[in-house]
Amino acid sequence: MHIMEGFLPLQWAVFWWLIALPCLVYGVYRLKKVMDADREALPLLGVTGGFIFILSSLKLPSVTGSCSHPTGTGLSAICFGPWITSVVCAIVLLFQALFLAHGGLSVLGANVVSMGIVGPLAGYAVYRALRETRVNMFLTVFLACALADMFTYITTSLELALAYPAEVEGVGSSFVLFMGIFAITQVPLAIVEGVVLALVFKYIVQLKPDILLRMNVFPEEKINAARDDT
Amino acid sequence: MYEELLEDIAQTNGLREVNTYLKLVTGLGAILLCLLSTSFIAPLFIAVLLSGAIILLARVEARTYAELFIVPFWFAAMSVLVIILLSGGSEVYWSWNPFSWLSISISRESLNEGIFVFCRVIGGMSALIFIALTTPMTDLFIVMRRCRIPDAVLDLTMMIYRTIFMIMHLLVQTYQAQVMRLGYSSFRESIVSFSTLCGSVFIASWDAGEDLVRAMDARCYAGKFALLGETGPANCYSLAAVGLFLLVSSVIVVITRNIVMI
Repeated sequence: MHIMEGFLPLQWAVFWWLIALPCLVYGVYRLKKVMDADREALPLLGVTGGFIFILSSLKLPSVTGSCSHPTGTGLSAICFGPWITSVVCAIVLLFQALFLAHGGLSVLGANVVSMGIVGPLAGYAVYRALRETRVNMFLTVFLACALADMFTYITTSLELALAYPAEVEGVGSSFVLFMGIFAITQVPLAIVEGVVLALVFKYIVQLKPDILLRMNVFPEEKINAARDDT
Repeated sequence: MYEELLEDIAQTNGLREVNTYLKLVTGLGAILLCLLSTSFIAPLFIAVLLSGAIILLARVEARTYAELFIVPFWFAAMSVLVIILLSGGSEVYWSWNPFSWLSISISRESLNEGIFVFCRVIGGMSALIFIALTTPMTDLFIVMRRCRIPDAVLDLTMMIYRTIFMIMHLLVQTYQAQVMRLGYSSFRESIVSFSTLCGSVFIASWDAGEDLVRAMDARCYAGKFALLGETGPANCYSLAAVGLFLLVSSVIVVITRNIVMI
């Protein structure tokens, strides 16, 4: 899913950087507040970042100038909100470019917008909408993670379509084509990612629920009820 | 997942002691020139020169370097095919209209566009790999601090850097233990095992992270990691070489701006 170095023309690379930067600045502001308030957030943020790095390195080839892989951003969006997640993602994407030659530097802005901003925002919106309802907690996590993954790909398709519109019907046609090619690998992958992250969440609820309670990720009753069930 | 990180090579490469800024200027300058170029020649020129520098100067094995290029090469080829089929042009060689909203064709213009994007990706990737293989992350942290990246971000960056290695170590150990106990024998089994793997590694590395912060606290950590700001001085030869490379590449970008393949 990461767009490769050199794939986007200069004007589009700059355009996506300009969209990503204000979000990152706001994310840094939120990050500072969280780190000042709770020193213990640093190791958790580190682990979340490390996990996003590992999960999004499990890549399968896809036809559209990039590849399919899980993103792992949903869980971070639930725990820390979408803005801090965007900063974590930007760091992870920089590491991936420099450790694995996966992604790139000029296209970092575009990759941050798709994986660090739009995906987590979508996941976070689902989580906020379902948090106070009677919907099962693990189902909420599943939906948030799977949708964060799907929206990342929709955004990437849009970025590619805008840069390379089709001759007939322009951006719309190439967007549908890019989406169609991605969907083959990405829909099953998003579902698997949702299931895996929901199970990871379940594991955390069982073994280390205190951090979830302290960060008020879910209401206490829900977490306690889930612990009693298992 | 278990592939060798470029970081391991970067720590021992032949250009390790060269000034970090000089290496960054080379890589970033090459990326920018690739993007500014309007012909396929300049990115190819940059790719050849930087590949030469990686193999001859940084003394990275040619085989390792070629393997690094296989995946991007394949991706670039596939995606360029999509661009060639989609972008259209006036001198059409072949076309097909499966739906009213979709027309696929191959034309002279689209072939040129495809070749150009392909070469740009190859040029850009070689510049990216040049930075990745010659500059260890620890050197980049120093540059980031000099560039006034906020301390909170820099601390988080270093924390993630440390955690990645911790997680990889734990993942390999736990994964091998699971495989030994037939944890991946069926699809269903694999999903459950993979989730337990992620969950247990998540919690184990989190604990390790907390221990790390506690250990740093005991050594007067106050929200700012100390860094040794050492980087080799830029000597005249390397400065001249980088200047010449960027100058020649820029000249090629300008003079080849109207050249197309076919």
